[in-house]
Amino acid sequence: MSEKVSFARIKHVKHMRQFVLRSLKTSLLAGVLLAVLPFTSFAQPNGEALFKANCTACHVVGEDVVVGPGLKNVHTKYKEDWLIKWIKNSQSLVKAGDAQAVKVYEQYNKVAMPAFNFSDDEVKAVIAYIKDESAKAPAAPAAGGPGADGGVTAEDKDAFPLTLVLAAVVLLALFLILNRVQKGLRKVINQRDGIPEPVVLEGKAGIKQWVRGNKKIIALLVIIATVIGSVQGWNTLKAIGVQQDYAPDQPIKFSHKLHVGQNKIDCRYCHSGAEKSKNAGIPSPNLCMNCHKYVKKGPQYGTEEISKIYAAVGWDVDKQQYTGKQKAIEWTRIHNLPDHAYFNHSQHVKVGGVECQTCHGPVEEMETMKQFSPLTMGWCIQCHRDTQVKMEGNGYYSEDYHEKLKKQYGADAKLTVEKLGGTECARCHY
Amino acid sequence: MEKRYWKGVEELNNDPEFARLRDNEFYEHLPVDEVLQKKADSTDSTSRRDFLKFVGFSVAAASLAACEAPVKKAIPYVVKPEEITLGVPNYYASTFADGNDYCSVVVKTREGRPIKIEGNEMSSVTKGVSNARVQASVLSLYDSARLKQPLAKGKSAEWAQVDGQIIAALKEQAAAGKQIAVVSSSLVSPTAKKALAAFLAAHAGSRHVVYDAVSYSGLIKGNNSSFGLSVIPTYQFDKAEVIVSFGADFLANWLSPIEFSRQYAETRRLRNGKRALSRHHQFESMLSLSGANADKRHKIKPSQQSAVVASLYNKIAAATGGKAIDAAATPFDKTLETVASELIAAKGKSLVVSGSNDSNEQVLVNAINQLLGNYGNTISLERPCLLKSSDDAAVAQLMNDATAGTVGAIVFWNSNPAYTMGDAAFKSSLGKVPVKISLSDREDETASQCDYVCPDHHYLESWGDAEPYKGSYSLMQPTIRPLFNTRQAPESLLRWAGFSTDYYSYLTDNWKSSFFGQQSGISSSEAFWNQSLRDGVFQASFFMGGSSTFIGDVSAAAAALTKPASGPEIVLYEKTGLANGNQGNNPWLHELPDPITKVCWDNYFAVLPSYAEKMGWRQGNVIQVSVGNATVKGPVLLQPAMADETIAAAVGYGRTKAGKAGNQVGFNAYPFVSLKGGSLVYHASGVKITKTVEDDYKLASTQTHHTMMGREIVKETTLAAWLKDPKAGNHPELIASHDGPKTPAELDLWATEKEPGFERPNHSWGLGIDLNACIGCGACVVACNAENNVPVVGKDEIGRAREMHWIRIDRYYTSDTTKENAEAKGLGKLDMYGEMEVPAADNPQVMFQPVMCQHCNHAPCETVCPVAATTHSSDGLNMMAYNRCVGTRYCANNCPYKVRRYNWFKYSDNEQFPYNMQDNLGKMVLNPDVTVRSRGVMEKCSMCVQRIQYGRLEAKKAGRRPADGEIKTACQQGCPTNAIVFGDFNDTKSEINALFNDGRSYHLLASINTKPSVFYQTKVWNREGEAGHSHA
Repeated sequence: MSEKVSFARIKHVKHMRQFVLRSLKTSLLAGVLLAVLPFTSFAQPNGEALFKANCTACHVVGEDVVVGPGLKNVHTKYKEDWLIKWIKNSQSLVKAGDAQAVKVYEQYNKVAMPAFNFSDDEVKAVIAYIKDESAKAPAAPAAGGPGADGGVTAEDKDAFPLTLVLAAVVLLALFLILNRVQKGLRKVINQRDGIPEPVVLEGKAGIKQWVRGNKKIIALLVIIATVIGSVQGWNTLKAIGVQQDYAPDQPIKFSHKLHVGQNKIDCRYCHSGAEKSKNAGIPSPNLCMNCHKYVKKGPQYGTEEISKIYAAVGWDVDKQQYTGKQKAIEWTRIHNLPDHAYFNHSQHVKVGGVECQTCHGPVEEMETMKQFSPLTMGWCIQCHRDTQVKMEGNGYYSEDYHEKLKKQYGADAKLTVEKLGGTECARCHY
Repeated sequence: MEKRYWKGVEELNNDPEFARLRDNEFYEHLPVDEVLQKKADSTDSTSRRDFLKFVGFSVAAASLAACEAPVKKAIPYVVKPEEITLGVPNYYASTFADGNDYCSVVVKTREGRPIKIEGNEMSSVTKGVSNARVQASVLSLYDSARLKQPLAKGKSAEWAQVDGQIIAALKEQAAAGKQIAVVSSSLVSPTAKKALAAFLAAHAGSRHVVYDAVSYSGLIKGNNSSFGLSVIPTYQFDKAEVIVSFGADFLANWLSPIEFSRQYAETRRLRNGKRALSRHHQFESMLSLSGANADKRHKIKPSQQSAVVASLYNKIAAATGGKAIDAAATPFDKTLETVASELIAAKGKSLVVSGSNDSNEQVLVNAINQLLGNYGNTISLERPCLLKSSDDAAVAQLMNDATAGTVGAIVFWNSNPAYTMGDAAFKSSLGKVPVKISLSDREDETASQCDYVCPDHHYLESWGDAEPYKGSYSLMQPTIRPLFNTRQAPESLLRWAGFSTDYYSYLTDNWKSSFFGQQSGISSSEAFWNQSLRDGVFQASFFMGGSSTFIGDVSAAAAALTKPASGPEIVLYEKTGLANGNQGNNPWLHELPDPITKVCWDNYFAVLPSYAEKMGWRQGNVIQVSVGNATVKGPVLLQPAMADETIAAAVGYGRTKAGKAGNQVGFNAYPFVSLKGGSLVYHASGVKITKTVEDDYKLASTQTHHTMMGREIVKETTLAAWLKDPKAGNHPELIASHDGPKTPAELDLWATEKEPGFERPNHSWGLGIDLNACIGCGACVVACNAENNVPVVGKDEIGRAREMHWIRIDRYYTSDTTKENAEAKGLGKLDMYGEMEVPAADNPQVMFQPVMCQHCNHAPCETVCPVAATTHSSDGLNMMAYNRCVGTRYCANNCPYKVRRYNWFKYSDNEQFPYNMQDNLGKMVLNPDVTVRSRGVMEKCSMCVQRIQYGRLEAKKAGRRPADGEIKTACQQGCPTNAIVFGDFNDTKSEINALFNDGRSYHLLASINTKPSVFYQTKVWNREGEAGHSHA
């Protein structure tokens, strides 16, 4: 089960855009499945969870050096016994003069890897996870080029208005031709009956005469204009206050693409409130320092952006110590819910098992963070209507409650958030 | 016997004004013209064109404004404190002790900001309950009238500068051989007392004088005369079966009301198989909260009280073989016979208390309790109460010394005598003191006359402790960094005594050295400190007991008693909200309606209606009252149940330098306090009253606005009847139909079984209110204000019936005419209803009923909302979506309980409402989980849906069902008597289910079949029969 889920997640990440276009449901299901992972496999150490919680600050399963080396195929490079010792306490190995240990230590700028209070089983689980991931890593890019299957959907969507326009043009042409034919016929009849040819007037009077003679066309044009105007107006009004795709410049050019996409740092490493609180939280700069004490140079902006963190926390790079002079970073808030709407991250992330990307989009591809979803009430409600509540494994959804719901909605009914009262006013407004 | 209750004197008299208010809910002229800048009386009214212009402009402006979204900033912590998770509250145990009330509390903080105070369940003294003043105290933290830095000679100064000058000045005075005095209210903090002792030790000729504006000096002196111990005993109301109180309002203010209310309610609760009630007699002059709850209330004039106590003593002494004293006959002797026999029948299980500050009366009360064998049972001298240590004689002595010029320096600490003692004599005495220092948190009446003001922290910013009873300790810890450049009062004293330690270290050292040894469970002093700080309380496992041999001289005491006087008298009292007035700038307390009169934002002279009629006064007339040199003007309030020829006035009002909200509210009644025999006296005879020609004064009251038209609203019965029939007084209301009488449910239009989708598969929330436990104090109202961001609207708006409180407490008086006895009186139908409104008794019984949104399952409000802004949830809540509401107010019109409130104005950021929601400081008290409502929308009790949602989410995250009692509403948590229970009807084992299935449960206005989620429990009185404390 764990393998399947992990795979689903990677694929999900790689092809997020197509994924969302194709089906929101699939991604939700994946998210829900991922959330039950801790419940289903807590009997033995969960390598993935351990890795993400402890290792991702400095390592990726890949070739890149973050703080420490990329760990792809690390199990083939070193013996398991040695790895266990190293992970548990690398410095004791170095001090003991272990040649391999000293070599690694010196190779990576003599940055000491902290000791981890893991059991042997836990370290083995982490290594197993790295092994799995190493095997998967090269396979991922080959799993279908971008847009391989999503493209059809996009094409269909684009083609739709085009056919409509074509049809409209054809109809208009037909209408004009028929009108012409009718005029010609009337002329013939008039000539046959001896009715005199109407005098064609010039200038303003001419326009008036034309208008009088073509009331149907005028009416048609007015109707079309009204319909288009109304639709446009409605859409404009609806878009007021909706800040979808809002991507303001931030005081630090922080790249989610680099940190999440490339370095694979788990969202919740920085946004730790997501599982505990209504606020996911913007990480305080002291959290950034966990890595940036060592990572002093970024691939894109060099030291420029990272130095802003140092300025905020008061870190003297030369002396490698804190000065005590702190300065808050004023980020520009991207996701703004109105005050009368209550939203709780932990309800969705911890209880609902919703993937961050479901609402925030492919963050791992965003160089500049933007508001992915419209965050309108209609959008919230739609998801609450579509999403099936995962009840198994949570004692809150008791047997008794489940029975009552079955009685109310039928045994086979899809128990969505809405059916459990998730679209009632006072769930979000109080 | 069915009694009729009426809502107020206005209803009883059928005032034309009342009828007008009753008939027209929205009786006022709507100020459309004024809004549109035209005078109402001018002939050119707004034209259609003008109107369209306004509309056009508004729409255009609104659309333009909406186009550009404001840029908001998000600023994270630089270094996030480990214990804080944004959006998750933290709770800290602390202590509220302001010299008036004591309460062990738990403070809820959000992002480092205290926003709500709850009782601490681990406290053996207050046991998790609180009162209105404790609930409101969090707002006093964010009071913009607080001083932002120390003052020297009225100018802002730095601490170092002030300290230097004060130390020099004190040295100079001590060298000159002058006294140095520290005047404080009662100190309950042992460590602060230690710091004070250090200060006194460092200054030769210095002393500490305890001055309480509302003094307990007589009680302490009385105990000294009786037992040779200058202490206050422990009173245990919960062990008493018969309670007799002489003017002691122990439910609202007397001594330790939070504790006593909870204890008292235990004796009034009929739950878990308990089938007995205490019997409560109250002798008093004005209608107090305790009197309103008494089974039997006896009206006496203030000067008669001592004689009544003496007479009761003689009757009990005669029966128990005590020594008789010289006591004149009183008009109450027959009643006293009954009271005495009831007390004797409950020997060792009764309790007699007196609110008098006369030590002689207290000696007699002690003697009565001694004869009844109550010591060691309901009263104990083993662990004395340390809440009060007032010493009126010492205060008088200090004032004399000051006048004589022998006092060199005075330090005022939590004491404001310029206000409470503020006569000319005090001013001239103070003028003769060369160095005057105040530790007040604001430039109040006293501080503004001082040379130095060294502002104290608010208690939520302070370290501290308290010892309310010998051996019961509690800790106070800061829950926010000091907002201003202030310093703790004890730390200031330590500084001036030459200590440089900060008060936190001083406190921890004292705890580790003095209290650590009083327990044996924890072996390390560090662990002991941490444990005590976490719990907030610490109970010493051993302590010194005191002896209790009665040595009082009853004859001497009887001879020195106050003699009954004739003519008009005045009695002073404290209100449930403001008490002695030390939180005088707290708008929540000002706006809390008085439990009895339902008047907000004022005090007044309360008089008996028949007395007022005799004197030619009407409600609102301004009268001038003089006693000796004190003359005060104030409005008349007609108050049934007052003693004849007596006027009652509340102290705590008429502040002049409290702050924006509290200044010039009401009048100051403290000048009527006099000093007799070394004790302050809170009543006076020989009162001269004249009616002034001033315009009538408008009192803002919440009582007459929502009439219930004499229907059966509060159900009641007597203990004897209830013992026979658990449904006594609570028989279903039947409705006449063509098939004969039917229950409302049988005539239901909405036939629920045919209506799918009305299921409650998950939760079914409800509230149960036990009217037997409810004492009507109003703590729930303030708790609700704090939890739900309820705005303060001010006196003017209250006068327009626009109060915003989500919960109100209805108070009803009885009338003697009932449907049953009307026939005997030969009254016809119309006459009968007329008579029901006529004042029948001078001493009506009083009932309280808290009313909030009833969360009807057949809600009349929901069906009339044109925009579906108020709807029903699948767990039984009546929901209100503010942003959907367009303000038609149909729902309020259709609500039979009148619990919906309309936002006539935007109450935040509006200069018209200069209360807490106007400035950034005051807004820090707002609960971030609850929307601040804007103008033009309806609001009402949500049953604390934010707490429900929070509790459910916590349960979901932990993968379990919410436990019964885990989720509590604010009113429930604030209630000092645990009268309110919240729970899930779907949880078969829940407390609320057990209560609901009890025979006493009923729905308010059940006949209209609204099927509320809130239910009440019949009030059971212990009134029938003379030996009323029945046991079954």
